[in-house]
Amino acid sequence: MGPPPVVTGISPKEGPPGTRVTIRGEFLGTSAIDLIGLKICGCDCLLSAEWKSKNKIVARSGPCKGRGDIIVTTRSGGEGTSTVQFRGYHESIGPVKESAVWVEEAAPPSLPWGRRPMSPTTYTPPDPLGLSTEGDDCKFPEEELNEMFPDGSGKLSDDNFQPGWYLLEHHSNTSYEDLKAGMVFLQRKVESQKEGQLSFLKANTGAVMDQLDRLVLLKNMYEEDERKNGKEPLPSLQAAIEESITLADSLFSEILSRKDNADKTREALSLLTRHKFLFQLPASIDRNIRKKEYDLVVNDYTRVKNLFGNTDVKLFQKILAEIDKKIEDLKEKLYTRMKTMPINVQEQTKYIRLLISLNWEGDAAWVAITSRKEYLMSLMNKVKDHFKQKEEQESNEKGKRKSKESEWLGGWGAVRGAWVAAAAGALAAQLHALWPLARRYFAGELAGEPTSTQRQADLKEMIIAAVELFSEHMRACLLSPGGGKLVPTDTLRVRLVANLRHLREAYDSLLKLDLPSQPLSIVEKVIFDYRVHGMTVFLQRAHKRVKGLAEKETWKIEEYSDYGAITNLPHLLETYLNEAFSAIHKCVVTSGRRESPLLADHGEPAAILQRHTQQILLAYVTVLQDLALNHEDQEFNNSNLSVALEQRGEEVGGGPAGPAPPASWQLRLLLAGANAAYTRRHTLAAIATAIHNFGFPKQNQALQATKEALSTLESTIAETYLEHKGDPLVGTIEPSMDMGRHKTDADAVVDDARPYVYEIINNLIAVHAEVDSVSGAASSRYVRDICETVCEELARLAALGSPGAPMSPAAAFQARLEYTLLRLACAEHLTRKAENHLMEALAGIPPIESEEEKKRMDTIVQGFKKRMELQLASLNCNMETV
Amino acid sequence: MFSALAYQLSSKFLEEQKCAPVKRRTMSKKPAAQPTLHKVIMVGSGGVGKSALTLQFMYDEFVEDYEPTKADSYRKKVVLDGEEVQIDILDTAGQEDYAAIRDNYFRSGEGFLCVFSITEPESFDATQEFREQILRVKNDENIPFLLVGNKSDLADKRRVPLDSCRERAQHWQVPYVETSAKTRDNVDKVFFDLMREIRSRKSDDSRATNGDVKGKKRRKIKCAIL
Repeated sequence: MGPPPVVTGISPKEGPPGTRVTIRGEFLGTSAIDLIGLKICGCDCLLSAEWKSKNKIVARSGPCKGRGDIIVTTRSGGEGTSTVQFRGYHESIGPVKESAVWVEEAAPPSLPWGRRPMSPTTYTPPDPLGLSTEGDDCKFPEEELNEMFPDGSGKLSDDNFQPGWYLLEHHSNTSYEDLKAGMVFLQRKVESQKEGQLSFLKANTGAVMDQLDRLVLLKNMYEEDERKNGKEPLPSLQAAIEESITLADSLFSEILSRKDNADKTREALSLLTRHKFLFQLPASIDRNIRKKEYDLVVNDYTRVKNLFGNTDVKLFQKILAEIDKKIEDLKEKLYTRMKTMPINVQEQTKYIRLLISLNWEGDAAWVAITSRKEYLMSLMNKVKDHFKQKEEQESNEKGKRKSKESEWLGGWGAVRGAWVAAAAGALAAQLHALWPLARRYFAGELAGEPTSTQRQADLKEMIIAAVELFSEHMRACLLSPGGGKLVPTDTLRVRLVANLRHLREAYDSLLKLDLPSQPLSIVEKVIFDYRVHGMTVFLQRAHKRVKGLAEKETWKIEEYSDYGAITNLPHLLETYLNEAFSAIHKCVVTSGRRESPLLADHGEPAAILQRHTQQILLAYVTVLQDLALNHEDQEFNNSNLSVALEQRGEEVGGGPAGPAPPASWQLRLLLAGANAAYTRRHTLAAIATAIHNFGFPKQNQALQATKEALSTLESTIAETYLEHKGDPLVGTIEPSMDMGRHKTDADAVVDDARPYVYEIINNLIAVHAEVDSVSGAASSRYVRDICETVCEELARLAALGSPGAPMSPAAAFQARLEYTLLRLACAEHLTRKAENHLMEALAGIPPIESEEEKKRMDTIVQGFKKRMELQLASLNCNMETV
Repeated sequence: MFSALAYQLSSKFLEEQKCAPVKRRTMSKKPAAQPTLHKVIMVGSGGVGKSALTLQFMYDEFVEDYEPTKADSYRKKVVLDGEEVQIDILDTAGQEDYAAIRDNYFRSGEGFLCVFSITEPESFDATQEFREQILRVKNDENIPFLLVGNKSDLADKRRVPLDSCRERAQHWQVPYVETSAKTRDNVDKVFFDLMREIRSRKSDDSRATNGDVKGKKRRKIKCAIL
């Protein structure tokens, strides 16, 4: 046996229970096995002891309180001693104190924050000394008491009660006299207790005797029993117990097995309940799909994946596989739904989102976009086919009914209108759906790979392709050359406006979508072209109508203007042009939002307008010309040269064409001239104003060209007229003159002009009347020209007559008289040229010599004036002066 | 206090009178049964080697790994100049965390080893504070006290000049010793020197008849001897 262990060092020397303590000393055991006991403050700490060396042990302190030795016990050295002591204390753990132990902080506030007065758990006997206990103010320190009485206690009921402790604790300040008195009190108390025991026995003697009797009785009975049953009662008891055990087992085995079954069932049931969600999921997925509650399905699926995704349980895996299959089906279904058109965007987006959240492999949104585009394309084509078919059908029916009068309206049919509306609606609606979808897609809201630039380009191409298809169809639909028949203006206008409105609606809706400018410009171009087309159509119509004016000419004088009497042709022209312009203005000129103005300077449409206007006006001129000059051949064939004056009367019903124009060709000629003049002076100005009023570009060039054409026409007409009118008149002069000259007697007294003079005057009056009745102010021109021609002829005749022989005085007088009279008659219409001719004629005549003769001539002239006053007046006046 | 003493006296008196067998063990401070106990307290900043010195002295072992001390207690019998005495070493915490509880420990100390590291001027500076605290608690200018410069083996890392150490010791009128817990240089010397101081101080006190100033302590000691 070796030396006993001695503990000489402790680190730390105090701490709460569980403190890691290093114990040092000598002979603390030769090995870990040698160490068989360790007590710190009386608490066994062997369990936590770690033997390090014979000089060192590390352990944890137990739940001890107060100061105490560290006793190490070894096999080799036995129980040891300690020179140092460990003090254990209980730490009160508050909320701010670190603690290795879980502290229920929500506990009632009695535990934390130091020591609080608690209700006494042990019964403290009343003051045994009969002295009043002192207050708490001068308590004797507990630590010193512990030190003084290491094994003692101050409690009266304890085994190791130390009177000294008690006195120091309770009566440390009590005086000696008082303590003595207390001693006496205590002694008296003890005395009385002792006395009490004895008197108790005395008082109960009977009972005690009785008890003794009973004990004897008991002993006798026991001995008797032993005799009866033998010395060994145990084997029979054992047998009985064993038998009962077997019986109990057999009784309970069934119940136990049932219980086992019940437990198993319960377990299975609880398993089912716990994973109810999983087990019911396939059914609930089916149900939700039926109810179209796809969101629920997705949520459930995500949840089940999270919960059981990595499960190893076979059953769960099986169910998961089933669920996966259902989800796959669902995906397929959603995919098909998403692709199936028509579908609105919200729904489609919903499907896309669902597919994304179901981890559908592939770019759902992109597929949706593509399918939408395909749908749009096919829709367009379908619309086209549908309407084409319808149109054909209609035209076939019509063809059967009246094959000649086919009402093929070309771009203006009602069917076409419906087609435009349908196509525009389809484009707008589909792009409305497609574009936001694409936008969201590229905003990254719908997963996929929106960042790829390829996709962007694809989308752009798609949209452009769609729009181009649209524009192509629209061009085919609207811009195809119209049928031969003229469509009523109203219908035309209504259709045009309606079609334009449809196009614009589509364009507007595209604008609202903020589409890129390229597709927009395509649509805009269609609209623009259509507008130009509309304008062209209107102008062409006007052109056609103007061309047809010839048939409308009734030769009925509508009005006497400053430029002579006119028919309704100029007005019709103006009306037609105005109609065309106002139609253009109303229907196509106004530009919609973000459309380029139709009639921009130097633009193609402006040129078209210009060209057409000019064409129309020139056509008008041509019409006038045709009307004025075309029938001349026939007319002249019919006309009698000598009866120019009577022609008006004779020509009734001789007109070559037209139901109502009974006018003579002279009248027509004059009317045409007046029309031309009126048009040139008045109508063109009105047209220019109208153009200005409609805000169209000025058509100066066209107007100028027309003016020139009209001027030319006018002069042509004038010439023609003169030619056909003056020639016969002049032709009659010579024969008439000769006729008179034969009769001339050289000696005869000349008292009047020869008849040819009167004839000339009469003829002139007739011409003047005719021209004046038609041309009014312009008539003087015609009359002047004729007078000039007449004078020229006279001069020529005079020159012919003079070189022969010297004129007799009478002849000379005669000639002079005649010239003077003619000059007088034509005074108003004589031009300088005519005057010259007359002067020339007079010069060839010998002058009058005698006064008498002069007088005579004056008398004759006065007489002529008197006689011919009415004729002269009619010749020298105009319409206005009448 | 007085009544405690009175009780102790009376209980002893009763014991002798009655000669009754007491079942509890005799008190730990059984008079004359135990050799004289000298209570030494190690003070100084954290990490200067107080525990290392103590363990070297107690168990001839040098602990390499550093584990901050809270408060360790060691006690063993030694032979001081042919006389068997007990040395009780209280190894205190150097860390500032425990500064508040130092007062209590110091109160029971009879002699102090104020340790610093010669490689760490801050620890040398801190000795001033410890000295002041001890004097304040003990209220005794002549308390046994040794200034110990530890880690003398690390002379190449020395940062506290020997002169200033000596100067301070002289100023305090205490001995100055340089030790090395690693090489055990001067380890025994500082403990034994301190115990001698304590012993001579105790004998001075016991000789003195009047000592009201430290009445409480002396009385206690007297009681222990009794």
